[in-house]
Amino acid sequence: MEGIEIAMLGVALAVGLAGSGSAIGIGIVGQSAAGLISEDPDKFGQTLLLQALPGTQGIYGLLAGFLIMQDIGIVGAEVVELTASQGASYLMASLPIAIAGLSSGIYQGRVLSSSINLIAKRPEELGKGIVYAVMVETYAVFALLATILMLFGIDA
Amino acid sequence: MPIDDTIYAYSVARIKALETRLLDQGQFNRMINASSGEEALKILSESDYASALAELADIHDFETVLASELKDTFNLVMKISPIPELIAMIALRYDIHNLKVLFKAKYLGIKSDLLIPVGTYDLAKLEQAVNEDDFIYFQDKLRRAAVKITEDFMVNRDPQVIDLILDRALYEELILGSRENRSAFLENLFTRQIDLINLKTLIRVKRMELGRDFLKTVLLPNGSLSADRLAAMIDEPLESLISMLAISDYADLVSEGVREWLEKGTASLLEKLSDDYITTFLKQGKWIPFGLEPLVGYLWAKEIEIKNIRIVLVGKINKLPAEAIRERIRDVYI
Repeated sequence: MEGIEIAMLGVALAVGLAGSGSAIGIGIVGQSAAGLISEDPDKFGQTLLLQALPGTQGIYGLLAGFLIMQDIGIVGAEVVELTASQGASYLMASLPIAIAGLSSGIYQGRVLSSSINLIAKRPEELGKGIVYAVMVETYAVFALLATILMLFGIDA
Repeated sequence: MPIDDTIYAYSVARIKALETRLLDQGQFNRMINASSGEEALKILSESDYASALAELADIHDFETVLASELKDTFNLVMKISPIPELIAMIALRYDIHNLKVLFKAKYLGIKSDLLIPVGTYDLAKLEQAVNEDDFIYFQDKLRRAAVKITEDFMVNRDPQVIDLILDRALYEELILGSRENRSAFLENLFTRQIDLINLKTLIRVKRMELGRDFLKTVLLPNGSLSADRLAAMIDEPLESLISMLAISDYADLVSEGVREWLEKGTASLLEKLSDDYITTFLKQGKWIPFGLEPLVGYLWAKEIEIKNIRIVLVGKINKLPAEAIRERIRDVYI
C-alpha cells in the first residue's frame, strides 16, 4: 500500500466508527422516546432534543475525516504524494476519535435513554438529564482534540 | 447476558409514562375519607378509571371494571415486552387460579364466578378442558398436575389436593422457567413468593394442629427457607420462629403479622405485610433503564392498586370505619 491508501483508511475509520457510535446511540434513545410518546405525545419536543445529542460523535468523526482529506488533497486540487510512514501517521491520528466516538456515542445513548425515563415522570428535570449525557460527551471532545493535535503535527 | 439489554428501551420508557397514572397514596386517602361508596367511586372517576367507570350502572358491579383493567394491563405489558414469554410466567398464576376455581366447581359443585380473565390460556378453553378431562394442549407440568388431580379425586375425594397440586406445579414451573431463561431476577422474586406461601402454610397447619408430617407434604420446594427448618418450627413457640428469622428479610413480617394471626386469629395483617414485602422488593428495580424489572414491577403495582380499590370500595359499601380500611390498604408502588 502507498501512503495515500493508509491515510484513506484513517478517514474511513474516523467517519465510520464515530458515525456508528452516533447511529447506535440515537437508535437506543429513539426507542425510548417512542415508548414515552406512545403514552404522552406532548413530550415530543423534549425527546427530540435528547435524541439529537448522541449525533455529535458522528459530526466529530466527519470533521476529523475532512481535515485528513483536505491535508492529503482528496478534497481540493491535487492529491499529495505520501510515504507509507506519513500515511500511517494519518491513520493513527484518526484513531482517538474513531474509538472514543464509537463508545461514547453508544454510552451517551444509554444515559439519554434513562433521561427519557426521567422526563416521563419529571419533565421539569430535562436539564439534569442533559447534564448527565454531556459528561459522556466530554471524552468524545478530548478524543477529537487529540486527533486534531496529532494531525497538526504531521509533516506532509 | 448474551442478549442486548437495550431491547427493553421502548417498553421501559412506556412503563415510566404509565406509572405516572397509577393512583398515589393521597388519592387513596381521599377515597377512604369519602362519605360513602358512591362518593369514593366519584373520586376514583377522576383518575385513569374514568372511562371504564362511566359505563358502570351499579356500584356493586365494580368488580367487572377491575377485572377488565387487570386484563388490559396484562395484555398491554405482554404486547410491549420484547420477551413476552417472561411476562407469561407472571400471568401463569391466573391460569392456576382459574383452574382451581374450575376444578372446585366440577368436583364440589361450588358455583363460583371468581374466574379472572387473565392468563396464558383462553378461559373458555380451560373450562372445556376441565369439563371434558382433556388436557392435551396444556403445557407439560400443568397437564400432569391436572391429570393427577382427576386421578386423585376419584380415589380420595379430598378437595385440598386441588390447591396443593396446582400450587406445587405452578411454582415448580416458575422456578424452572426462570432458570431456563437465566433470569436471576425472576427466580429471586418467585423464591420470595414461595417463602411467603410456606410461612403462611406453616402457621395455618400449626393452628389446625395437623402435625409435622402433614406440613412436610404441603410445603413448597425451592424456597430460601428450607422446608426442614420450617417443619421443625411447628411444635415450637412463636418466639423461636421469630428468632430463627430475625436476621432474615422476613423478621418484621413474622414478628408483626404472624403474632397478630396467632393472637387475634386474623391473617389480614400478614397478608398485607407479605404484599408490602414484595412491593419493596420490586421497587428496587424501578429505575433499571433496560430490563424486565420495571415491567414486572408495573404489573405488580397494578395488581396492588386493584386490590386497594377493592378494599376501599368494599369497606365503604359496608360502612367500615376509615381506620379499619386504612389498616388493610397496601403500600403503593410509586
